[in-house]
Amino acid sequence: MENNDDEITDDEFEDFADEEDSREVVVPGEVLTEDVTNFLPGRGTILNKEKNKIISLNIGLKQIKKNYINVIPLRGFYTPRPGDKVIALVVEKNPVKYKCDINAKDFGQLKPKNTIKKGKIRGFRGGAQLREEVSTEKYEIGDILVVKVLSADRLNKPELTTVGKYLGKKSGGIVITIDPPKIPRVIGRNGSMIKMLKNLTKCNIFVTQNGRIWLKGEDIAHERLLIESVHKIASEAHTIGLTDRMQDYIINEKKKRGIE
Amino acid sequence: MMDVKRIISKIERDYIISNLKKEERIDDRGLWEYRKFQIESNVIASAEGSADVSLGKTRIITGLKYEVGEPFPDLPDEGVCTVMAELLPIASPLFERGPPDEQSIELARVVDRGIRHADCVQTKKLCIKQGVLVYILFVDMYVINYQGNLIDAGAVGALTTLISSQIPEGIWNEKTGEADWTGKYLTGKDIVNELPLAITYGKIEDIIFLDPNLSEELVSDGKISVSVTENKITSIQKSGAATFSIDEVKMLGKKSLEIGKKLRKDLNFLQYQSK
Amino acid sequence: MPLIIKDEYPERLFREDGKRLDGRAINELRPIKMEVGIIPNADGSAYLEWGNNKIFAAVYGPREVHPHHLSKPDKGILRVFYRMATFSVFDRKRPAPGRREKEISMIVSDCIEPLLFLELYPGTSFEVFIEVLDADGGTRCASTTIAALALADAGVPMKSLVSAVAVGKIDGKKVVDLSGIEDKAGEADLPIAITWYNEEISLLQFDGDMDLNDMNEFLDLAKDALKEIHQIQLNALKSKYIKLQEETLKEKEEKKGEK
Repeated sequence: MENNDDEITDDEFEDFADEEDSREVVVPGEVLTEDVTNFLPGRGTILNKEKNKIISLNIGLKQIKKNYINVIPLRGFYTPRPGDKVIALVVEKNPVKYKCDINAKDFGQLKPKNTIKKGKIRGFRGGAQLREEVSTEKYEIGDILVVKVLSADRLNKPELTTVGKYLGKKSGGIVITIDPPKIPRVIGRNGSMIKMLKNLTKCNIFVTQNGRIWLKGEDIAHERLLIESVHKIASEAHTIGLTDRMQDYIINEKKKRGIE
Repeated sequence: MMDVKRIISKIERDYIISNLKKEERIDDRGLWEYRKFQIESNVIASAEGSADVSLGKTRIITGLKYEVGEPFPDLPDEGVCTVMAELLPIASPLFERGPPDEQSIELARVVDRGIRHADCVQTKKLCIKQGVLVYILFVDMYVINYQGNLIDAGAVGALTTLISSQIPEGIWNEKTGEADWTGKYLTGKDIVNELPLAITYGKIEDIIFLDPNLSEELVSDGKISVSVTENKITSIQKSGAATFSIDEVKMLGKKSLEIGKKLRKDLNFLQYQSK
Repeated sequence: MPLIIKDEYPERLFREDGKRLDGRAINELRPIKMEVGIIPNADGSAYLEWGNNKIFAAVYGPREVHPHHLSKPDKGILRVFYRMATFSVFDRKRPAPGRREKEISMIVSDCIEPLLFLELYPGTSFEVFIEVLDADGGTRCASTTIAALALADAGVPMKSLVSAVAVGKIDGKKVVDLSGIEDKAGEADLPIAITWYNEEISLLQFDGDMDLNDMNEFLDLAKDALKEIHQIQLNALKSKYIKLQEETLKEKEEKKGEK
């Protein structure tokens, strides 16, 4: 199963783009501006009406886009949104649903109807006939699944599905977890970071929105280097020139550790 | 690694086992290698002795408080040393608030037995007046971060705490029927006699390995802790469903004494001894 | 290590040179050190050394509520648990939580809850665990201060931080940040916290006796100290990020220079 990160395009990847200047680090309660006529409170901010100020709600990087002031959080938990691709761990099952840990405040629900696979069958003489093979995938407790979030809102538990491209059960490899806000940095603008990681460590890597990353390499030494690199990216996500620095780091480490 | 819930994914389990079979571990250790120990003594001002011990990312802070009271009737000339442990809820999403559970009781008891049966604490020196007044030492371990193998970290913490303690010295005054405080202190040299260590192994299928980290511990079928002094085995605790062959146990006994010797040398406890 | 065997109170709380017993001036804070992200397993965490106080705070959440009947369908709940280690005080404390710990848990929770947006997380809980490993006066203030930091470290959206300090009267003089001995032997003790969102008082207690004049002076004395403490909190949150930014900028300059 190949990874699919090239499909994900999101404004968020702009947030951690390599820039010339470091962005300002702000904290909860910090005043971002008192000019409330020209600026509007964006992501991660709030208007303090009494004091006429826009303040940050998170620890993060200050960003001004058009006339919105945003704060890109450096720490935080994953909030499921419809369309997200995430890595789930099956923790319970009963005849009507699988209960999945998706690293969010609620467990996700995967119902059997959302695990139905369709298959194509070629007819005799090469003419393709689309025939629906209605088979449900059966999962066990402890399975790692790549799922898509069908629906999620404030009050209801997220609904998941394994029907779709690149979705379904994973076998082999290992899953690690990083801070969800750092995921865009691991992918990089236009996938630059993740492509570099894949090429240099010769690992398959699949990054999802809930902070979980599946990876598989040719041996544990490569996997170890990749895991350490990912953690390094996460802790330095707010710095400039990260992609180049990570490239140097990995090349040096490969030499030091005697791997190619 | 994976989220810290009791359910470990099959992928992780397979990954750990297949690598262990090749004698590989994700943190680049061999099967008989410890993670890094970091020790600091005298970290708690309110305690008579204390230690902050990390084994890899497992971190335990231990403190010693003393009281004076009546000895046990069957041991009238001996002080008492008791060990307690709390798996603080800060340390892991797996730990809940509340009274000590099985895991914290196991930690306390295994460390306690390792110390007791090594005659580590010189309880006869902790007697102020036979049958009337003795020292009661409370060694309390608090787990700050849990990443596997609490027992070995706890044993090192308890030992460092005891050896670095300074307990006010009391001398019995026959006239007043009370203890007079001399203003001097009983030190680690007076209190500690032996340097017992706990050596813990995990077992998955038929592979045995030293110092399980959290993922390895959650995947393990069982574990075994062997407490050792320089030349003797003083206590053993096997837990979990796994079984060990007689040869395996013999091998572990021998290995534990070797590993214990090396660890004791590497950690050099005498540097923490109070004067 | 305790210097005295019996719990004796010194006769005077000021030295010959006019300084307090630990050498401080009347408006001086004890040395304070704060660090975030100190417990790898927690969603957010912070560690504080304040004089001899040593306190860990860890946040877990949002997560399921145990026991389930405490969960609210329309909003999340905040639970604060303040505990002291047996060896944190001079006379060994019993391990089980007592009434004082429950009271402090409630006070800290009352301070912090208004800063959060709990309605965004129905049916779940945020749990803040505060563990005092070494206590020396002012633990409820230190705990409030460090709990706010741990929540910020967890990435929980907050309107602002909150900072707390205890002011009081010793030997007739008003001082800032009472140490353990000053708290026990002094005449008045006023723990106070300010929430920076609206710059209003969110924690206030008092024991002792004072007149109206005293009260005004206490509040003014506290405000300056609280600003100082707030600055320490902000530095603790930002410093590791800023340090890295500066380091990488320097590296980049050096590389440019080489070329």
